[in-house]
Amino acid sequence: MRPASLLGLAALAAAAAPAARHAVAHEGHAPRPVAAAIFPIPAPGSYRLPPIKRAAGGTVLDEAGRPRDLLAPDLLAPDLPAPDLPEVARGITVLALIYTRCGDVCPLASADMARLQDLAAKDPAVARRTRLVSLSFDPEHDTPEVMRSFAAAWRSADPAAPAWAFLTAPGRAELAPILAAYGQRVDAGPDGSLTHVFRAFLIDSEGRVRNIYSLDFFEPALVLADIRTLLLEGAGSGGRQGR
Amino acid sequence: MPGERTIPCRRSALMLCAAAPLLAAQPARSDETCQSPYMAKITGIEDFVYVWTLGVEGLGDGSDKLVTVDARESSPTFGKPIHAAPVGGRHEAHHGGFTDDRRQFWAAGLSDSKIFIFDVATEPAKPRLVKVIDDFVEASGGAAGPHGAYALPGRMLIPSLSNRHGTGRAALVEYSNEGDYVATHWLPTDAEPNGARIEGRADGYGYDARVLPRRNVMLTSSFTGLENYMRPLGDLMKDGEAMKRFGQTMVLWDFHARQPRAVLNVPGVPLEIRWAWGPKNTYAFTSTALTSKLWLVREDAPGAWSAKPVAEIGDPSTLPVPVDISLSADDRTLFVDTFMDGTTRVFDVSDPEKPRQIYEKKIGAQLNMVSQSWDGKRIYYTSSLLANWDKTGTENEQFLKAYAWNGKELTARFAIDFTAERLGRPHMMAFGATALYAK
Repeated sequence: MRPASLLGLAALAAAAAPAARHAVAHEGHAPRPVAAAIFPIPAPGSYRLPPIKRAAGGTVLDEAGRPRDLLAPDLLAPDLPAPDLPEVARGITVLALIYTRCGDVCPLASADMARLQDLAAKDPAVARRTRLVSLSFDPEHDTPEVMRSFAAAWRSADPAAPAWAFLTAPGRAELAPILAAYGQRVDAGPDGSLTHVFRAFLIDSEGRVRNIYSLDFFEPALVLADIRTLLLEGAGSGGRQGR
Repeated sequence: MPGERTIPCRRSALMLCAAAPLLAAQPARSDETCQSPYMAKITGIEDFVYVWTLGVEGLGDGSDKLVTVDARESSPTFGKPIHAAPVGGRHEAHHGGFTDDRRQFWAAGLSDSKIFIFDVATEPAKPRLVKVIDDFVEASGGAAGPHGAYALPGRMLIPSLSNRHGTGRAALVEYSNEGDYVATHWLPTDAEPNGARIEGRADGYGYDARVLPRRNVMLTSSFTGLENYMRPLGDLMKDGEAMKRFGQTMVLWDFHARQPRAVLNVPGVPLEIRWAWGPKNTYAFTSTALTSKLWLVREDAPGAWSAKPVAEIGDPSTLPVPVDISLSADDRTLFVDTFMDGTTRVFDVSDPEKPRQIYEKKIGAQLNMVSQSWDGKRIYYTSSLLANWDKTGTENEQFLKAYAWNGKELTARFAIDFTAERLGRPHMMAFGATALYAK
């Protein structure tokens, strides 16, 4: 059985366990159609995404264990000299805060990230200027090696797809200010599980948070519309006034 | 092998992941219905009921305050107020709500537009005032009278009732969870429809705002402006011109774009909005205060929404004034409070087109808010509507009353006299639980 299927089965088993104690929201999470959004998606550029707050950087480890800054332009191309950095360095970031042992919301969120990666792969202009980042808040378990293995289960091999980095923190001390800046509270339960509300962040090229998603609204087609809205705004041709 | 993940393989993982929460679904025992779908949910019986309470001059400290009521049946202080967090002064305390992570409770004041932020996570029995937003009018570009606080991911949506001129033109205002202003969205009017289709007229008034995420829609309802709601009710009722300045509409929004799509005719002041919870139940209820009707707003076809009256509440000719409503988590039972006769009525709404009253009980001389536990077994009521609209003399009863509901009748659990306890006028209730913040 392939890693992704194993991951899905693990999620199935963990979520069915009565001891699951992750914070759940009031809205249920019904299975989503794979191919279509569940509601009409507004046209990119027909609405605005007002800046909510500054996005935070901080020291993280990439899949090779190298220390990086979370918002560094060279996050996904650390070996390239600055002039050769790809367009993605000046693009849009979708940041999901997860942990790999999570038995309910995180696998769903990673599935949505994977669908977003697939959707974005169909639009080279978007793919070039978008990067996906999954950051673990479980550094004791989620080592760079674990994240590398996790990435293998989820990341697309399509060369047209946007880059997707799987990061962890060197330790709690480095992680704490990042979580605080994003307002992500994580509490450890007696069984070792981590209680959290899932959040993902849309970060523009100037390092501002432009949208925050719960799982209910982490709809890949919608996130893609948001990315396109920001790219249009950057090109000076999008953005409805009033929001 | 690693790195050679195939799309079909990943697809199967997606489907398995999507199915997992359904298999894990178990009957939730507690929490309150009628909350933001974005908010973390209590999964055990509530420990506390927080009560946002209006101060009364000469009663106790006279200040608005967040009162903690002990709801733990095994506690020696069960059914008693065990803590009060005063905010200093009176601000027409009205509604409030938790942030999405349920770590803060935002409580709004209708008179001076201040918003008080309490930390309820550090010590859930003893909420602590940690921040006051006092720039609401200026930051929002003129919105005033913040009515409530509705959790969105990382943000709070605050519907206003009024504006800096005191009229009923209202807005939806967003703040980050950190308390920083983000955006303002004005309700559509005839002059500025903002792209909305208008059934009859667009009055621009506001009251409640609730989101149905899976349809990407938000509904808003409409009340009146500061010049009316801060006025003594007796005077107001005699002023024919002022009585014309009440909401007659509901607005359906494209939630993600924050753009109004349709202004629906709902005459008679539609107030609280309750979306059904069932995954296929694409409808909401509201009640109209001045015409005493239950209204159903539903999606008749994809993208096509309508509103229609489906039941009368009591005898509309006696002006019972329905105020708060509470829909059970299974979408079958709707509690409706009427202020003037102090009565709660229970409707079977399993057929939303044909609500049928199955029970009624007089709770007190006046009655406003109702909060229902997720399992539908515990019902809490409070008495106060607005400082200048509450009854006077012996009819000015100020209470929180707790009942058990067995599907047929209410049985008293406990009652707190907020005047005797020198606390004030109890209004909005919200449930708290220590287990949610386990370290």
